[in-house]
Amino acid sequence: MTSTFFQHELKAFWRSKNTGKSIVIRVVMGLMVLYLLGIVCVIGFNLGKLLEGFKGDVVVSFSGIILLYYLFDLFMRLQLQELPTLRVQPYLQLPVKRNSLVRYLAFTALLSIFNLWPFILFVPFVVKTIATDSGSTVAFAFIVSIAGLTVFNNYLALYIKRKSNLNGWVFLIAAAAIILTGLSDFLWHLFSIRQISYLFFGSLITHPAFALLPVLLGAIMYYLNFSYLKQNLYLEELGARKAAKYKSSTEYPLLSRFGSIGDLTANELKLVFRNKRSRSAFIMGLFIMFYGLIFYTNPKMNTEGYKVFVSMFMTGIFIINYGQFMFSWQASHFDGLLVNKINFADFLKAKYLLFTVISTFFLLLTTPYAYFGWKTLLIEVIMYLWNIGVNTTLVLFFANRNYKRIDLSRGAAFNWEGLGGNQWILSLPLMITPFIIYGPFAAFHHGDIGLALLAIIGLIFIFTRNYWIKQLEADFHTKRYTIAEGFRNK
Amino acid sequence: MIEIKNLKKVYNSTIVVNIPHIEIKKGESVGLVGNNGAGKTTLFRMILDLIRPEAGEVLSDGEVVAGHENWKNYTASYLDEGFLIDYLTPEEYFYFIGGLHQQSRAHVDDFLSGLTDFFNGEILKKGKYIRDLSKGNQCKVGVASCLLQNPQLLMLDEPFANIDPSTQFRLKSILMDLNKNKGVTTLISSHDLNHITDVCDRILLMEKGVIIKDIATSSSTLNELEEYFGVGQTIPVSTKIDEEENH
Repeated sequence: MTSTFFQHELKAFWRSKNTGKSIVIRVVMGLMVLYLLGIVCVIGFNLGKLLEGFKGDVVVSFSGIILLYYLFDLFMRLQLQELPTLRVQPYLQLPVKRNSLVRYLAFTALLSIFNLWPFILFVPFVVKTIATDSGSTVAFAFIVSIAGLTVFNNYLALYIKRKSNLNGWVFLIAAAAIILTGLSDFLWHLFSIRQISYLFFGSLITHPAFALLPVLLGAIMYYLNFSYLKQNLYLEELGARKAAKYKSSTEYPLLSRFGSIGDLTANELKLVFRNKRSRSAFIMGLFIMFYGLIFYTNPKMNTEGYKVFVSMFMTGIFIINYGQFMFSWQASHFDGLLVNKINFADFLKAKYLLFTVISTFFLLLTTPYAYFGWKTLLIEVIMYLWNIGVNTTLVLFFANRNYKRIDLSRGAAFNWEGLGGNQWILSLPLMITPFIIYGPFAAFHHGDIGLALLAIIGLIFIFTRNYWIKQLEADFHTKRYTIAEGFRNK
Repeated sequence: MIEIKNLKKVYNSTIVVNIPHIEIKKGESVGLVGNNGAGKTTLFRMILDLIRPEAGEVLSDGEVVAGHENWKNYTASYLDEGFLIDYLTPEEYFYFIGGLHQQSRAHVDDFLSGLTDFFNGEILKKGKYIRDLSKGNQCKVGVASCLLQNPQLLMLDEPFANIDPSTQFRLKSILMDLNKNKGVTTLISSHDLNHITDVCDRILLMEKGVIIKDIATSSSTLNELEEYFGVGQTIPVSTKIDEEENH
């Protein structure tokens, strides 16, 4: 039975929309995974050298960081690891033993990329240094403990996630506990995780049998998961869907002034905030606000060239991040938009309004960077004009060429849905054009002229919006059937 | 109201819709029946200018549908959940649709209060987004948003499929009222032969993309349709006589 499940799982992976049909995406995905693996490999093989930077014995520092890693690992898992859940739904009503279902569920949970990192990271060091220093038994004990802790972390994270599906507070409490543990080491110095870690892994060197302890922990956690799953093998409890809150209607009085365009914008704002993936596109923008702190405080990077770059991102990240998938967000109800009494020009104006509203919001958030000089603020405003002038139009031009559906209900992490060649091509002009204009002037020490030019072009685009809307509309009418058909393709 | 000329749609070199000519007059109530894959939804989508036909054209009120938008002013349609904006609450959606037709919120509220029976207390003020509603309730939202638009042409694709029996009967009386008393042209597809013959005065029967029958509904229509759909099926009569009893 398990082998049948396993075959189904493989088919599910290769045939899923997420895997991406086009070969280009697969290649790029493969390269990125290899790149990540490569980085971790390099760190793993050079861990010894890296640790020499710390004071004291290399083995002591190594033993110290292991638990620290697992704390961080747990935190990341809580956010990113997916529950292998609803995939069992089609089997629940079939004559399949509950035990084998649960075992399968629990087993597939191990097939997470997270379980690979600790081995790549730690095993090279164990083999290279510890095996030569303390013999192969100790090295084996280290590897066994690492495996045990990985399994423990894997199932602990899933257990917390399952619990938090029933009660959202569980997740918050768990996350707070991890953060507090971290803080009480590094900020309040109540205890030292590194010392605790060394206490255990140090004694492994003298007593390799201690390696059974993490294995035992892992086994207990596995058993907990197993029995919990077995008792709760119901769709409601398995599902990734959280207990529903009362959803109330929202209004944006400011937007209702714009009539039906405002209504469309209000709808799209609701789209952004009520769906996971689009919401994270927005939240990402909030994080980008810290770019300024990183760049401006660094004297080497506090130049105008960097400011142009940083300002473009800070005021325009939403346009880039959300806009690159434009119209796909509305794929699930695109037919409805087409048959309703919506003028496409209004539809486009609503997009412009949305981008303007959100970019303005981000611009207001960046105003405190005036602390780094008024010119910083000036550059931010210029790049804001550029973004709402040029980049919005550019994004909408590419939106007419995007035929890929996005399922809004899925999260953003590792979600490749809706990604196509379009996005790669789009990102080039979006990020490079301002530097093509500004760069040459800056190179000959006339940066101000470059800035002025950027501002003028941005303003020209803003004042000629109606012209661009007409062009985009005409363009859309030649492609609407292809777009609608692509969006209907689930 | 609607005129179809030489309409043809081809998918992967199979013809899915092929209609030389058909006309639907103002005020008619037309039912579209046919097995899965007969081309009903494709035909609907072409009438609504959602897919491009390989040949031919659809005229609505004398104007070609493709490339024009006037028909949107008087046409309301609900084919599937893809017509609903599923992250809105039903109220927000109704206000949005009403707003497209320059209706004030008060007007929308007023109109919705007339649908209390139809909603059966499951749509309004439930604190759910449309995506969290059941398929049947989503269908109610879709149909209600059509009614809200005060259309002259109403198109529904299998409206009876997911809704409960009470709602089916309410929907039937709503549709008949619209057609008979308000002169709305209705175009409805369904697999339920009873309902469709009750509601519609004219039945179009589709098979493999072709309209093979065009009948004015009469008392014999239901039998005629049942005969067509029951092709080659003899219903096993279970009037087994208990031999013990009949000695």
